[in-house]
Amino acid sequence: MAAFRPRIGSFSRNVSASSSSLTPGLKHGPNGTTFISSGVPDLDKILGGGFSLGSLVMVIEDAEAPHHLLLLRNFMSQGLVHNQPLLYASPSKDPRGFLGTLPSAGSSKDEKSSKRDSDEEKGLRIAWQYKKYFDENHQSLDSNRDSKKEFCNDFDLRKPLERQFLIGKQIDCVSTQDSQNLVALHDRCAAFLSQFSRNESSVSVAGRIAIQSLCAPQFVHSDMEWDMLSFLRSLKGMVRSSNAVALVTFPSTLLSLSTSKRWQHMADTLLSVKAIPDEDKDLAKLLTGYQDMIGLLNVHKVARINTQVQQNKCYK
Amino acid sequence: MADSICRALRDGALEGEHAPALTIKDNIASPFGFDVFSHVLSQLSSNILAGKSQSRGLVLVAFRRSPSFYVDFLKRKGVDISSSHKWIQILDCYSDPLGWKDGFSLETSNVASSCKNVKDVHKLLSTIIELGQGLVGQGKVRFSAAIDSVSEMVRHASVSSVSGLLSNLRSHDQVSSIFWLLHSDLHEDRVTAAFEYLSTMVASVEPLNQFGNGQRSNMNTFPLLEQSFAKGKFHVRFKRRNGRVRVACEEVRVEQSDVNFTSVSSDNGMINEGLIPKVQFNLQLSEKERIDRANVVLPFEHQGQMLAKLWTD
Repeated sequence: MAAFRPRIGSFSRNVSASSSSLTPGLKHGPNGTTFISSGVPDLDKILGGGFSLGSLVMVIEDAEAPHHLLLLRNFMSQGLVHNQPLLYASPSKDPRGFLGTLPSAGSSKDEKSSKRDSDEEKGLRIAWQYKKYFDENHQSLDSNRDSKKEFCNDFDLRKPLERQFLIGKQIDCVSTQDSQNLVALHDRCAAFLSQFSRNESSVSVAGRIAIQSLCAPQFVHSDMEWDMLSFLRSLKGMVRSSNAVALVTFPSTLLSLSTSKRWQHMADTLLSVKAIPDEDKDLAKLLTGYQDMIGLLNVHKVARINTQVQQNKCYK
Repeated sequence: MADSICRALRDGALEGEHAPALTIKDNIASPFGFDVFSHVLSQLSSNILAGKSQSRGLVLVAFRRSPSFYVDFLKRKGVDISSSHKWIQILDCYSDPLGWKDGFSLETSNVASSCKNVKDVHKLLSTIIELGQGLVGQGKVRFSAAIDSVSEMVRHASVSSVSGLLSNLRSHDQVSSIFWLLHSDLHEDRVTAAFEYLSTMVASVEPLNQFGNGQRSNMNTFPLLEQSFAKGKFHVRFKRRNGRVRVACEEVRVEQSDVNFTSVSSDNGMINEGLIPKVQFNLQLSEKERIDRANVVLPFEHQGQMLAKLWTD
């Protein structure tokens, strides 16, 4: 695969030379944006580098499958491994319990590239159907070009995250079940994001917000749709002017169609996960690797910050 | 797959996991939801008595029928109720749900306790947990919970508070499994979707012959209606632990007070409409099409014969 040169128009933002050395966990993107990893290497590649700082990522859940939790877990673990502060909100009474289910980081990529066998460790892998057409040469080229510091880890879902990553880190948890209105959640987000406000100097530390199942039925105002929409809009504005990424998952089947469309429009990056039926002969014929698959991931929208032009190829 | 459902409820929750939750839903065209509910109830009760299930007790929240109905029903099903206060507790939300009958003494037994205010969902949750812990103690032993009709609950309290109660029950350490009944015609789709979201198995009872929307019953459909009254389709969606969805279909027949499930040849074609692309091209010709192709007279091929034919005509 030849190196893809991004098209630089005459109005591109100059990236100053001093910020070329970034803290690990951050990567330069086109047009002066900075990427942080989603925690899933294949997803980073599909999105063209990762999640842009300042973007609002939304994931449409499938009511029948917990795949959004996999994305959340990898996102949160990656942040903790890279020492990025985290704010986590969930509809359960004890959000801290979820931290016990975060996966641990697997072996580094350099070791893997020398192994060259096709079955990797059991991390979360997103296999897009074109992979079977690549030969091994391509894969080794990719891994050799990676920088020495790890941008994205492979997470092993079978093992819990090591305690060193959980103790002493800045992790805030919010339960959305009992709060009477969204103002409390909004204030917590605002307080969290004020630490990462953007200014002209280079990015030192990035923050992550993870909100699980925003319109879950246990949530007291799941029927106050306009309030939730205003919350999202305000969150998007706050995130855009700070060095952070917010990941919000929501089950769109529980919203009215028009509200669901509005929420989807709010997102900078929009993903959706879908369950697949079990023991389905038709699907087994249609898809290779059906036995190992647990669900489908769709990329509907990818964030374009500081530009109107799509720089990278968009994969589905 | 009624057996699989009963087995799943019997096996209960794994350590560190939320309890399995079953939604039984029906509609006006196939109103057998309560029969299915009572069938599941009697199966779980026999499993608890026989010691085969993870849970050691059952708390039944009764909105639609009185506790004495359930006691008689279990007796009829052959479940031993002489020691019933040791393994089942019925929370009576049927006799006086809103506390209107002040001064009248309600029937109390060692099995039933009455609830006078169903609007207070927090109190309801703590009562259920208290009753359960009264049965199995406060340690590691678990109990199951059954709610007669969630549709009734939603009449008195908001959907979000009822969802909160259900999800808190599911995540409670001592709850092994939980199931509830829902009448989908009584709610908007969103409410039904919310309860399905919270459950791990959704069993719906549907009529055998699906009528189109808005079709009123006319004289022609009466015989069909009569026939379908005691029979229906039993459709189950399982949310498996690996994130896949297992779909199963059976036929359910209600006779007297008995419910029978028979397997039916499942047609998988309906299930995957969303995922399989509908491709129109079919590269094989059918027999008829092949014959037709052989019969086509192409313009320039048979010129010689055609000309000869012209001369002989």
